Amino acid sequence: MKKKELIGGVLILTIVTALSGYLLAQVYKITKPAIEKQKKIEEEKINREIFPEGEEFAEKEENGVKYFSVLNSEGEEIGKIFTTLSLGYGGYIKIKVGVNKNGEIKGIKILQHNETPGLGAKITEDKFLSQFKGKTVEELYLKKDKSEGKIDAITGATISSRAVTDGVRKLLEKINKKR
Amino acid sequence: MKIDFKNFINGIWRENPIFYLMLGLCPLLAVSGSVRDSLGMGIAVIFVLTGSNLTISLIRKFVPSHVRIPVFIVVIATFVTIADYSLAALSPQIHRNLGVYLPLIVVNCIILGRAEAYASKNNVINSILDGLGVGIGFTIAIFIISVIRELLGNGTIMGYQIMGANYTPFLIMIMPPGAFLVIGFLIAIKQGIEKRGKKC
Repeated sequence: MKKKELIGGVLILTIVTALSGYLLAQVYKITKPAIEKQKKIEEEKINREIFPEGEEFAEKEENGVKYFSVLNSEGEEIGKIFTTLSLGYGGYIKIKVGVNKNGEIKGIKILQHNETPGLGAKITEDKFLSQFKGKTVEELYLKKDKSEGKIDAITGATISSRAVTDGVRKLLEKINKKR
Repeated sequence: MKIDFKNFINGIWRENPIFYLMLGLCPLLAVSGSVRDSLGMGIAVIFVLTGSNLTISLIRKFVPSHVRIPVFIVVIATFVTIADYSLAALSPQIHRNLGVYLPLIVVNCIILGRAEAYASKNNVINSILDGLGVGIGFTIAIFIISVIRELLGNGTIMGYQIMGANYTPFLIMIMPPGAFLVIGFLIAIKQGIEKRGKKC
């Protein structure tokens, strides 16, 4: 390859890359506020599903753990919402857990998962999730794992059900220890 | 400048990227389980394909052949990133469902294929038409497949319950093998129609 050809190629590639970088920086600037707004709306929507009586959700951090402090209309804290990960059948399951003042579960939501469609993916259904309401640490086991357990596993998806249950319980244990 | 509509039609029917060229099957398998995600993916592909075809056709005379592949990839990656940001801003739900398959459009062989085979050799208007045609062809294909898969595998279309409450989902349809089955049947139907057309 001739020297001239080489330099020409390098030059063109540099120009194209620089232009593309500039363009992307502009697009990023334009879309960033919208993306952040969408994220907030969605976060708030899920928080409100867990704590319908909550008026305000304030982001806080304590000992390196981020959570939402749920305030009612009088400004009192009525609970907290945490996010936790648990290893399921097809990877990590991201769970949002609402805890009330007494340390009981207020409600949970699955944010992200990669479980088998039609089996493990049923962990996102209300039929499974509503079982967690009002449960305490001691009750957060699958019925088949421990006699105190109060959670029914989904048929054919024991691993996914156990992952969610254990994840929520471990989170509660961690929170209670810190109290 | 000669405008050639043949390519536009070709991309949709005869040389449909999915049913004839069999390119871009990876994102197809991954997202065609849901109609809504499929439409998001289809629109993203149309946008990226048309944009990259347009740009590459514009710069084709300045780009020496030995650096063309990196240049094409940079152009495609730029459009994919724009699509990625825009979709995140407009519809976070679809953006999250598409997940890694949206950035992966960069390596979707339909797009580099059209850039190399068509846009780098033809004028701007024809390249745009080619991009639109192939993109629409891809979208139609992914749409048909996702309608069949979501209906049989989940009993819904766009999330609305279509089959009765007693319907037992045909689970394999929602999983990747279901996509292969549906593609196979659709290709057979397309071939059948074409063969019949020739005989008459």
